[in-house]
Amino acid sequence: MRAILSPKGIIGGALVTVFALVAILAPYAIPANQATRINILARLHPPSAAHWLGTDQLGRELVWRVLLGAHTSLVIAVSAVVLSILIGLPIGVLAGYYRGWTDHALMRLVETLLSFPALLLALTISAVLGPSERNTILAIGIAFSPYLARIVRAETLRVIALPFIEAARSQGASDSRIVRLHVLPNIMAPLTVQATISVAFAILAEAGLSFLGLGTQPPTPSWGLMIQASRDYLDIAPWTALVPGVAIAVTVLGLNMLGDVLRDALDPTMAVEG
Amino acid sequence: MSYLARRLALFVITLLLITVVTFLITLVLPGDVATMILGTRSDPATLAALREKLGLNQALIVQYGHWMGRALSGDLGVSLIFKEPIALLLGQKIAASTLLVVMSLIFALAAAVPLGVWSAVHRDRWQDTVGSGIALAGISLPDFFWGIVLILFVARWLDWLPASGYASPVENLPLALKYALLPSITLALSLMAHLTRMTRSAMLEVLGQDFVRVCRAKGLAWGAVIFRHALRNAVMPVLTVAGLQLGYLFGSIIVVESLFNFTGMGWLTYQALLNRDMPLVQATVLVIAAVVMMTNLVIDIVYTVLDPRVRLS
Amino acid sequence: MKRREFLQTSGLLMGGLAVGGLPGPAAAEDAPRRGGTLIWGHSETTQNLDIHQTGTASTLRLLQNVHDTIVTVDHSFKVLPNVAESFDVSQDLLTYTFRLRPGVKFHTGAAVTSADVVYSFERVKDPKTGAVNFDVFKDVAGIEAPDPGTVIVKMKQPFAPFLARLAELGAGAILPKDSGDIQGKAPVGCGPFKFVSREFGNKVELTGFADYWQGAPYLDGVLSHEVTEETVRLTGLQTGQFHLINDIPMDRVAKVKQDPKLQVLSWFPLCWDFLNFNHAKKPFDDPRVRKALDLMVDKDALMQGALWGQGVVTGSPSFPTSASYDANIKPRKQDFEAAAALLKEAGFGPGQLQFTFKVTTNYPYHVQAAQIMQAWFEQGGVKATTQQLTWADWLSQCWVHRDFEVTMMNFFTLWEPDFLYYTLWNSTGAFNYRNIKDSTIDDLTEKARRSTDPAGRAAIYKQVQQRIQDETHDVILWFRNGTVGARQNVGGLDRLVHPNGSNLMFRNVWLKA
Repeated sequence: MRAILSPKGIIGGALVTVFALVAILAPYAIPANQATRINILARLHPPSAAHWLGTDQLGRELVWRVLLGAHTSLVIAVSAVVLSILIGLPIGVLAGYYRGWTDHALMRLVETLLSFPALLLALTISAVLGPSERNTILAIGIAFSPYLARIVRAETLRVIALPFIEAARSQGASDSRIVRLHVLPNIMAPLTVQATISVAFAILAEAGLSFLGLGTQPPTPSWGLMIQASRDYLDIAPWTALVPGVAIAVTVLGLNMLGDVLRDALDPTMAVEG
Repeated sequence: MSYLARRLALFVITLLLITVVTFLITLVLPGDVATMILGTRSDPATLAALREKLGLNQALIVQYGHWMGRALSGDLGVSLIFKEPIALLLGQKIAASTLLVVMSLIFALAAAVPLGVWSAVHRDRWQDTVGSGIALAGISLPDFFWGIVLILFVARWLDWLPASGYASPVENLPLALKYALLPSITLALSLMAHLTRMTRSAMLEVLGQDFVRVCRAKGLAWGAVIFRHALRNAVMPVLTVAGLQLGYLFGSIIVVESLFNFTGMGWLTYQALLNRDMPLVQATVLVIAAVVMMTNLVIDIVYTVLDPRVRLS
Repeated sequence: MKRREFLQTSGLLMGGLAVGGLPGPAAAEDAPRRGGTLIWGHSETTQNLDIHQTGTASTLRLLQNVHDTIVTVDHSFKVLPNVAESFDVSQDLLTYTFRLRPGVKFHTGAAVTSADVVYSFERVKDPKTGAVNFDVFKDVAGIEAPDPGTVIVKMKQPFAPFLARLAELGAGAILPKDSGDIQGKAPVGCGPFKFVSREFGNKVELTGFADYWQGAPYLDGVLSHEVTEETVRLTGLQTGQFHLINDIPMDRVAKVKQDPKLQVLSWFPLCWDFLNFNHAKKPFDDPRVRKALDLMVDKDALMQGALWGQGVVTGSPSFPTSASYDANIKPRKQDFEAAAALLKEAGFGPGQLQFTFKVTTNYPYHVQAAQIMQAWFEQGGVKATTQQLTWADWLSQCWVHRDFEVTMMNFFTLWEPDFLYYTLWNSTGAFNYRNIKDSTIDDLTEKARRSTDPAGRAAIYKQVQQRIQDETHDVILWFRNGTVGARQNVGGLDRLVHPNGSNLMFRNVWLKA
């Protein structure tokens, strides 16, 4: 608990809270068409009293777009991480719990996926299913699942080596009962830590995919899309890149700080980095 | 040595699996290179003729078999859209990307090791906050955004370096280095952040060990203890992480190379994918995956040699 | 962009239509000077260099300088002799006789003979070549070479566009006999520059050909650097890294024009763009729905918004300097009430019509245009969802499989009217990816194709355009400007652009001291 109340924990927690509040409230607080209202006569205006954070290449207000972009980021990142857990958790637990051939086969698959350029996967999903928010979630969720599986497997191995598992076995508990009652609760802490950090990475991944045109579709406000559009106007309108860039950096920084602190607090066994 | 033999066998199996997965991906990817060549000049008759010529009418499994057979005998074929021998393209682009990756690795280590040591030695004081803060910021910036910021400040406003481009390291090394500078700094940032965190924690662990206390008790100067004894022990895990991150770097180059117009492996892979040039997709993905796994393998082997305990476990 | 600048840009557009080209301030013509290598910042990556197998505008832009065609065209698309010093066409359009100009040489030093022409034509005609212009020769019965200086082409049936299509590089370029296998990597022809080398994705080197039949080019050579990022290309021009770049970023043209170190050449059309509906998908088979959507689009504002004023709104897709261009066809004005009434008639109240709008990221200004139109559609009570597709996905989904509701596309250099109207709007047309089935257009385009009277053909094509407009088969949007930026020491810019509006002819350009 001490770690959570450290300056790092407080700052991280505050940033994440602000992000979450903005992300959840923005769609209600900002009229729907504000962020997509086009004004060709006011494009690429620098930040001023009339345009708080400046305008983009179509004269849309960056302030509304960046705030609503938080919503897009949150929805996609959290859903993607949930999906990656849904895929990675069973694989990791199966591999770690049964070991042997199951482990070998599953880990070969995981390793193959890990040495694959993630972009290839994203391009494929986008090409086959069509680019959309839902498919962005799919792409990121699938791409992240092998990492989750690897961590869950390692944690499962650690837990089943503990004496109480042997005790449960000797009392005739079934595999599924042991997994439900003993393994899962004991890997929850590291999983929470990993999930927090994964949300940070998923926000970066969503931005990256949208940057390549494979993620969120215009005119939905998305930080990555905003940076992509800014590329052609960098020298004359740098704010179009800086506004969404700073938004991403601050949010991800907050999540990483919180992740660090949670790791120290919940899971002393995990190294700071690895 | 059976451990190594097993690792090698696994390496080969995973590579095969990668070609199969790549093949499966090409199976489901819509469109083909014939539509890309003809673009909006294609009518069904021309398209059919071109597909016939390129062998795209054969069942995909047959195409894969042909590709695999030739690849095993060392012939990677010719790029369907660019009409250049794939082996030649790979040779040029691997050299370029290796330069980029090695430069980023050097930058990252040069920044991360001192910063990590500094943070660890001053644990929980302001120096640690600054060091860890820099590291945290590093992993929180998307590399494409950081690249844009660099282009903006260093190339546009200060006009110190070319914003983008590429020169062959074989033809003109100074120019090649100049072009590689900004993209490699971009790539180095997140790597630096990871390595700083790694160095810090490895140093903390070593500094807490008995032999360090003994050294201090024997009256050795604190600086000498840190650099001669502690750092030497901490460096191994740091290098391991650096090696593992090489693979990550080869994945990031796709975006960064495109951003800087640096025509290396990442750029080539992206072009191959965008153009549905399947032989080239197979070849580039295979090379990238092989590099990733090879670094892991080398690290494992080095570990085995240095640390006999690994062989037992 | 400030409002004043915005108005300036729009002012600059006026008056370009008649000439079809606006030479930059390079009017002070110094005498051409020989020597020097021109460094060109090229906007795209060149692909397969085989002139028969490549269809991309970027590669053709380069190869224009390596190859030469049997006939050529002037700015009004009149067919002129070129490598053939004369040609005869029989009254029934069934026999074409070309007499080759003596003394034309290939880069290899060999003279161009009828055997080379036969080889080149046969190679395009052969399906095994996979030639992009395969269709040009589909009515050809035989190609003969009675003597080394004469080529005779016999047709199975009249194909009016045949001769004009031979002015295109992909169909009419003359390659040395049996050189097909090396063309993809090291193209060789009889054009003004010899190909030296290519470092893939990076640069291409050309050197002047001293024995070129129209005389050696002024330049010793051309070095093309492939720089796809547009702002980077512009920076390279501004800092002097390049002598010349094509495609100045559209939002920056006005600013570059004010730079005393630079000159700007802008012309139109580089290409033209249109909005498409899939006629095989309900409710886009209903002309009322298509017209309603057309009525929601303010074409002038859209052009300003997506092209930053670098274009000219048009209702006719014919090349503006060609006989079939019809200036009387006016784009519909924006009118939301009329649109709502039409939609209501077609059975759609406000908010009831929804569709997906597919655009390709290959043309970033299409993505901008789609967002602007989407806002108008929303204002008109229609919900459009955008999908950005990579070029491969767009081609596969929209072009080949015709799986879309609404999309937009552009075309370069379709100046030959049969190629334009038959392929795009005839129900059997090869490029009719919108599934348009209109018997009136089918009859007209078929009639024009077999017609031997050029004036009559132009009149027919004007009827076709009117029909397209009346039925709103597609919404023709604009001609987009092409731009070239150059340092002040580049001379001869006004003759750089090929009549087709896309290719660049470096033999007309020189470097001042």
